[in-house]
Amino acid sequence: MADNEKSGFLAMLRRPSAKYSLLSILIVGFASGIFFWGGFNTGMEATNTLEFCIGCHEMRDNVYQEYKKTIHYSNRTGVRAVCSDCHVPKDWTHKMIRKIQASKEVWGKITGVIDTPEKFETHRLQMAENEWARMKANDSRECRNCHTFDAMDVEKQKLRGSKMHKIGIAEKKTCIDCHKGIAHTKPKGMKEDEDE
Amino acid sequence: MSKSVVYTAVAGALLAIGSQAVQAAPDWSKVPKRDVHVFHAGVTPIEWATKKSDHSGSAGMRKGESCVGCHEEKGALNFNFKRLADKELEPKGAPKTMTFPVSTQVAYDAANLYIRLTFKAPSGGADKGDKDNEVKATLLFADAKVAQGAQYGCWQSCHADARSMPGADDKKTKYTKEGAYELVQWASKGNKVSDGSVTTERKMAGGGTGAKAEGGKSGDGYTITFTRKNPGEGKAVPFGVAIHADNSHGRFHHVSLGYTLGIGADGDIKATKQ
Repeated sequence: MADNEKSGFLAMLRRPSAKYSLLSILIVGFASGIFFWGGFNTGMEATNTLEFCIGCHEMRDNVYQEYKKTIHYSNRTGVRAVCSDCHVPKDWTHKMIRKIQASKEVWGKITGVIDTPEKFETHRLQMAENEWARMKANDSRECRNCHTFDAMDVEKQKLRGSKMHKIGIAEKKTCIDCHKGIAHTKPKGMKEDEDE
Repeated sequence: MSKSVVYTAVAGALLAIGSQAVQAAPDWSKVPKRDVHVFHAGVTPIEWATKKSDHSGSAGMRKGESCVGCHEEKGALNFNFKRLADKELEPKGAPKTMTFPVSTQVAYDAANLYIRLTFKAPSGGADKGDKDNEVKATLLFADAKVAQGAQYGCWQSCHADARSMPGADDKKTKYTKEGAYELVQWASKGNKVSDGSVTTERKMAGGGTGAKAEGGKSGDGYTITFTRKNPGEGKAVPFGVAIHADNSHGRFHHVSLGYTLGIGADGDIKATKQ
């Protein structure tokens, strides 16, 4: 048997097609690309919804109940920030990195690390610190998707916010430096920032 | 009669007339009113107020900002009263009225400082630990050695380990780490006046203010007039007000933030010269 007549799946993939035109192959490839890529993104977006996040009782019974009492859930303007708005980056690269990191949480779910309120409380500080560190490192990027100092008119704010934001701007602080525990209960035993 | 005897007699007469004049009560209709809002502060002692993870405004405090500088706005207090009444900051239950205004008038003459408080004491308290007194009104004046006395008002005397705070020793009173507060209190039962101090502990007697007070209820309102020694013209004295309404005791008072009282000087509240 000659070399160019090798059989098998891999060999078939490597062999130039004599049956289909290049145009047909391109069209099929393009269509399949849209289908798979779209499907992948749709699937990923489905994991960014509030419903997905509270599909697990760990989130639904703990942090979700706390978040429902806050301004990010219900407010006079009717704008709602759901879990992913704060906890998942918007741009693709950072989103993918975050999603890959989050796959560890699937293991946590399987092993039941926080599957009771008591266990959740035990891990609350660590989980919060992880998220605060992430937000601090990225200059509160997810907060700034909606809130920016550029668009903020501090003179229209309540005095207490206005004065603190002026200090924050002057000292190049980032949102999470002050706004911890705004959507969930603050953990017990929080460490004080070292830079203060 | 020698000249010196005459001079002495004349000087004595003038002094007597003068002292009559300075003892005269102020004409309150000519003294401006300033609303000082008091509020139920829950469990927010100085340790809470200065801890960043509890109170993000502590960053402002460290930069010299006063409590009033951030929290008194448009003639009222801008606190998140829902948060103050919540279990985290008020585990025992908050009073129905979280804040109310105390109309404050201050006048002075060479000898005395006069402070008149007029307010409606709210019912619906969460703690009725003082069976004897329906209402008590207390003034604290920080001396210069109280660290940030003008900035923090009474808070330098309010600690997490003082009585009526959760888990605290029931015998430990309010105290200061540095300096002293003069304490003047009027209690409704028997119109009782206390002239005390807060240093390493709170004492309800032995103070040096020579305090007197007259108070009473008229309709649903109280008017209490304090007279104390003038701390000195040209001074701005840090002071704060606390009202124990509805038989409350300990930390279940409504307190003011810290204000400065200008006696012939600038201050949050300027005393009117008589």
